[in-house]
Amino acid sequence: MKRVFVFSLIICTMISMVFQPISSYAENNTDSTNIPVESRMALNYICSSDSLLLTATLSIKKGDITLALENATIEYSASNGAISKLLGKATTDQEGNAVFKISSAGLPADKEGMVSYSAKFPGNNKYPAAEANFIAKPAKIKLFFSIEDSLRVMKVTATQKNEKGEDVAIPKETVNIYVPRLFSLLKIGEVALDENGTGTMEFPKEIVGDTIGNIIVMARIEEHDQFGFVQGENMINWGVPKQYYKAEVPSRELWTPIAPLWMIITLLIMLAGVWAHYAYAVYELVMIKRLSKKNKPLF
Amino acid sequence: MELEQKNPLRDFSPQLERTSILGYAWIVFLLGVIGLGFYAFLAQVYEGHEVTGMRDNVVWGVYIVNFIFFMGISYAGALISGTLHLFKTAWRKPIIRMAEFITIIALLIGPCFILLCIGRLDKLHYLVLFGRIQSPITWDVIAISTDIFGCFIFLYLSVLRDLATLRDYELLQLPNWRKKLYRLLALGYTGTPEQQQRLNRATDIMAAMVIAIAIIVYSVLAWIFSVTLQPGWHSTIFGPYFVIAAVYSGSAVLILCMWVFRKIYHLEEYITKKHFVAVGVIMLVLAAFFGYFTFSDYLTKWYGSEKNDELLIQLLFKEFYWPFIISNYIGVLLPLLVVGIAKLRTITNITLTAIVVVIALWLNRYLIVVPTLESPYLPIQDSRAAWLNYSATWVEWSLTAAGVAIFCLLFTLASKFITIVPVTGLIKEEKKEDILV
Repeated sequence: MKRVFVFSLIICTMISMVFQPISSYAENNTDSTNIPVESRMALNYICSSDSLLLTATLSIKKGDITLALENATIEYSASNGAISKLLGKATTDQEGNAVFKISSAGLPADKEGMVSYSAKFPGNNKYPAAEANFIAKPAKIKLFFSIEDSLRVMKVTATQKNEKGEDVAIPKETVNIYVPRLFSLLKIGEVALDENGTGTMEFPKEIVGDTIGNIIVMARIEEHDQFGFVQGENMINWGVPKQYYKAEVPSRELWTPIAPLWMIITLLIMLAGVWAHYAYAVYELVMIKRLSKKNKPLF
Repeated sequence: MELEQKNPLRDFSPQLERTSILGYAWIVFLLGVIGLGFYAFLAQVYEGHEVTGMRDNVVWGVYIVNFIFFMGISYAGALISGTLHLFKTAWRKPIIRMAEFITIIALLIGPCFILLCIGRLDKLHYLVLFGRIQSPITWDVIAISTDIFGCFIFLYLSVLRDLATLRDYELLQLPNWRKKLYRLLALGYTGTPEQQQRLNRATDIMAAMVIAIAIIVYSVLAWIFSVTLQPGWHSTIFGPYFVIAAVYSGSAVLILCMWVFRKIYHLEEYITKKHFVAVGVIMLVLAAFFGYFTFSDYLTKWYGSEKNDELLIQLLFKEFYWPFIISNYIGVLLPLLVVGIAKLRTITNITLTAIVVVIALWLNRYLIVVPTLESPYLPIQDSRAAWLNYSATWVEWSLTAAGVAIFCLLFTLASKFITIVPVTGLIKEEKKEDILV
């Protein structure tokens, strides 16, 4: 009896040990209320044709842990130093991103055409306020496609607004050209803009498009001191049409609908072997039953 | 008359004829636990898998752990009973029926836990209609269903002699329907030399088959894990490792069953210390093998220094520290000490060690499944921080308890239907002793 008690004690201790990490985690959580919480925000800016995309990313830092803050309201505004204009509000998603799209027209700009964008989280009882700013001048990239001397040529133009609000060329800049693929953007070339803000490149022939050969082409001025991130895109039917391989005779692979022959044969041999033995055992049972007529009871 | 006095069936008659108040209370208690499980099951069906702790990252939890555990003890029962039968081990008789019951009962419960993991049970038949032979899941479905048939045939062959004995033993006070059922199931077996020969031949063949099938089927289960490129799972030794772990846990469950039935049905005369020590020694050998495989698996991962394997090992030694220690240290060393040292080798000690082994092996399966899913190779898109860690809910624990309760209930009912110790063999042995005397 004493031994049973000792062993019961050991087992109870073991079970409590198993659940210890859970309780200690809970304690850590309780203690962690005293750790100061810091809100952090980043503002991402993309200027494309006539619209601007402002993406604010909000996270909180508690000790060593950084977590995205969901369902937080972010206020966006634009200013030129003297006048501030509230653009609107957006709510963060599960990754802490709040995306806000506006027209690039009618924004308060300074003498040089620069606009200061601001994203602000006003804070609440749990989390302190956070703010991020970005200064950029609205710009525009356009893509044109043409065939010249049987060559496929892509023309890129980049413009900015002058003091009068007219479009003027962005000279001497480098524009990166991309094609979106499944997981990321594939860079297919660079275009150097001339004095007129124009540049051309021969379009590659081997880019795979969709099933009818359509490709989305993106042109980007990236991380520019003045313009920030400018993007233009267009679609053209210059890609190699994507064709799904259809073999006349379906191949037998691990990933095809039909299994490799060796696998089917192995499985059939094994199953036949096993079930043959079962059948033999059942046959013996049937024979035992048939033999019963002649027999006498055991007792 | 002399035979009737010596007939061990007289000792087993009470367990077949009557159920005590405590016995009924036990059954009611088990039904209550099963009822709770059924309520949890309904909650899961109506509200979806949201009521469980399983999420996008950790898609398998306690259910799959229970599945592996029950399938493990089932295969262990098959391996132990098949081996003891084939090698005609002298001391096997009093415990072999329990091993056979463990096989069948656990085999019926285990797959139910897989069904609980399935979100769309209404599309279960798609597995048969559109199942691909290349998938280890399909192998598992084929293997388990084949195994169930085989184990039923083996159990039936093993109990046939006792069914005939029960049919012909007139002193047994049983309702008519049960006597009719015994008559029907006994297939007119009267023990003629030809019937015995046929029965022995079929039993020998099926004993060999259940051993082979148990090894293959549990290896298939291991391959479901090892063929996936996941840290901790992608291991070449997972097949034999699973088989060893299965037999190890099964030997511990067998010891627990021996202890329980010995106490309840007062079988001290039949299930002696010799039997506990014998199964204890099997458990000791398997503990050593299990420890060796575990060490080998983690050592190669540790030395390989593959990034995700290292992260997994860190996770095991930090967040899962105590489960890891209990599973892989205490669960291995305790049987070695208790069964290895003659002074400690008592029935109580061996039984209590078996309890620790059962807990350790359940935790072992938990440590195989959950930490790996908590540290995947690729970050999952749109994953939330709350989904990264798994914690079982009341629904999962209730269904786990219900699984154990069904196991106990079926074992109880089986022991009420047929003697927990094969009496025919004992009668024979007593006859032999008479001749020798």
